[in-house]
Amino acid sequence: MTVPVVGASWVPPSTKDFVFRCWGGGLTVGGVQICFNFITLLVLLTFIALIVLFTMAFRRPTVVPGKLQALMELGLEFVREQIAIPVLGQDADRFLPLLASLFFFILVGNLFEVIPGFNFSANSRVAFPLTLAIIAWATYNGVGIAKHGFFGYLQHTCIIEQAPAPLRYTLLMVIEFISNIVVRPITLTIRLTANFVAGHFLLAIFFLGTVFFLKDGPKTWVFAAVSFPLSVMLVGFEIFVAVLQAFIFAILTGSYIGGALAEDH
Amino acid sequence: MFAINIVAQEVSEKGDVYPKGSELIVGAIAFGFFFFFLWRWVVPRFNAVLSERRAKIQGQLESAEQTRRQAEGELAEYREQLASARGDANRIIEEARETAEQFRRDIQAKAEEESRNTVARAQDEIRAERDRVFNELRAQVADIAVTLAGRVVGAELDTKSHERLIDEYIEQVASSPN
Repeated sequence: MTVPVVGASWVPPSTKDFVFRCWGGGLTVGGVQICFNFITLLVLLTFIALIVLFTMAFRRPTVVPGKLQALMELGLEFVREQIAIPVLGQDADRFLPLLASLFFFILVGNLFEVIPGFNFSANSRVAFPLTLAIIAWATYNGVGIAKHGFFGYLQHTCIIEQAPAPLRYTLLMVIEFISNIVVRPITLTIRLTANFVAGHFLLAIFFLGTVFFLKDGPKTWVFAAVSFPLSVMLVGFEIFVAVLQAFIFAILTGSYIGGALAEDH
Repeated sequence: MFAINIVAQEVSEKGDVYPKGSELIVGAIAFGFFFFFLWRWVVPRFNAVLSERRAKIQGQLESAEQTRRQAEGELAEYREQLASARGDANRIIEEARETAEQFRRDIQAKAEEESRNTVARAQDEIRAERDRVFNELRAQVADIAVTLAGRVVGAELDTKSHERLIDEYIEQVASSPN
């Protein structure tokens, strides 16, 4: 539907930005159609980038590290010192591989949001954060059950010993169960997805808006003069969000694991 | 005021953002492989290189500490040796000085002794020569005197008694102040 008035035309971003067609045919596995499309490409590139970076960094690790090794060590060191140890203490090294893979997988996936030519993060498709959240959920519940036993873990998770007895086994138990078992994976998923859906909209509006203002003629250039620097700043902001959300996802997973392993509340 | 052409207004639908089964599978596979890779390959290597580094740094610190201690020990030893060497040197110099002094004194004493001996010998020789000359002269003078007297008196005097007379005369002459 085109409304010809004056100047350029404006296409507002919509959720259609998050729908991608298949490239070529797909294959159906157990009723689920899998095909190669832009999203699959992003995930594949994330995976390849991580494998290549880590392989190059640790193929021949040296005591005096090269630049790449130093960088990747810095990343792992960051996950260990800032995420694993604060929330897990002496269990940190056991869960370092999981927390580090969550952190790096989310981080690199997120950064595609600001890589020119892609400008899209696979993590703005809810399925990927959901996958990771399910893994996190399975892990913290799994280690909790392994440590306390099934009912022991449920009690550990849902019963607040300090609460008055009538509330402890009724309202609080339900609240704790919902909050600790049901809601956590959902919040993990939505926090990450929403950040990158919003981030994508934000960048799309500012960049497309700048282009629109420039095309629309000299009288709207003044708006472009504002929106363009802001779009650049927003790219910086999105990089910050990319790191922050990877950090938050990893540290929350670590803290859930820590809570499940704790001796008592 | 500003014209905005809205082209092909796309309607957002909830279904667009719902998770797709295929994405769950792709994500799980990719993450699974990456996790496995990190768990089995990267983290062990990372830990190995960290502990190697830690060991190396610790070893270096320890060896540095050891070297430092050794160096300090050696320094103290050298200082001690230097001090004792200085003491030795002083002692040797002192001894040399004493020896030299002793030598000097010995040589001086010997020289003095020699000079004294030389003088004494010279004096003896002179005295002996003088006595010899004196005796010779006296004999000759006595002979001459006797001969002269004999010629004068015309009689042969007993040489022996005249010698006595002459000796007495000479003694008299010698003892008298000139």
